[in-house]
Amino acid sequence: MSDEPKRVAFIAHCLLNQNAKVEGGAKRPGMWEPVIDLLRARGYVIRQMPCPELAFGGARRFWGVREQFDTPLYRRHCRRLAKLVAAVIGQHAAAGDDIVLIGIDSSPTMGVDFTPSAPHWSGQPNIVEDDSTLVRGDGIFIEELKAELAERGLPEPRSTGIRHWFADYDPDEELERLGALLR
Amino acid sequence: MRDPRARRIAVVADSLLEPMLDELEREGFGVIQLPPAGLDRETVAAWLEQTAEHVAEFRRNDYEVVLADDGLCAAELEQALATFGIEPLPQYTG
Repeated sequence: MSDEPKRVAFIAHCLLNQNAKVEGGAKRPGMWEPVIDLLRARGYVIRQMPCPELAFGGARRFWGVREQFDTPLYRRHCRRLAKLVAAVIGQHAAAGDDIVLIGIDSSPTMGVDFTPSAPHWSGQPNIVEDDSTLVRGDGIFIEELKAELAERGLPEPRSTGIRHWFADYDPDEELERLGALLR
Repeated sequence: MRDPRARRIAVVADSLLEPMLDELEREGFGVIQLPPAGLDRETVAAWLEQTAEHVAEFRRNDYEVVLADDGLCAAELEQALATFGIEPLPQYTG
């Protein structure tokens, strides 16, 4: 790694790999290029984080909300992956690099500012209408990553979440928010 | 619900990601990025283990998975894949 400080973006797995989304959740054939293109234009090194949901629930998992994923075993799985991400963040922090994190604000796992909630979801997967709500807060992995960073004495990166699954998604607002994050 | 995923994934060495991104995007590939250089061996091994878990799940569901490798992690990745019964990945040919 060169001594020159870099700009580094840790991004949710699915931003580079739409195949990791739940079935029906991909918006592009391969990658979500609005974010990837912006990061490249701003000179950021891309660091893709693992997809905790894919590894744990599989490619055929159902959509889910925070309350379903918030189990001790899933948290342990997320912490295992968070240790890897924290090791790489530590490497960049030690080099004095500028680090940002971009999650997915419609995800129970990768949410940064918002995460989906539906305390009543359980049992037969026959919900006709998605009646979950987006509540303020982190997803499970992001919580575990922050805890791991705190244990290592590493600072939390500046962060935001992609909102392309919000009903009122506004690409211009998102671009502006990302622009502010990336400085 | 329409889902445009191409069901094609390239496992890409960190050093090759930036120069290959335009082509991979054009070809509709999703990417799994391999770990960067400079990490300790234990972290690299754990990173490749979770990479192999991702690959195994995609292969189990009939996704196409190829490898664009710079030689840094090839042997260890192959070993990690073998623990899930996955043969060495075919090389990305563009």
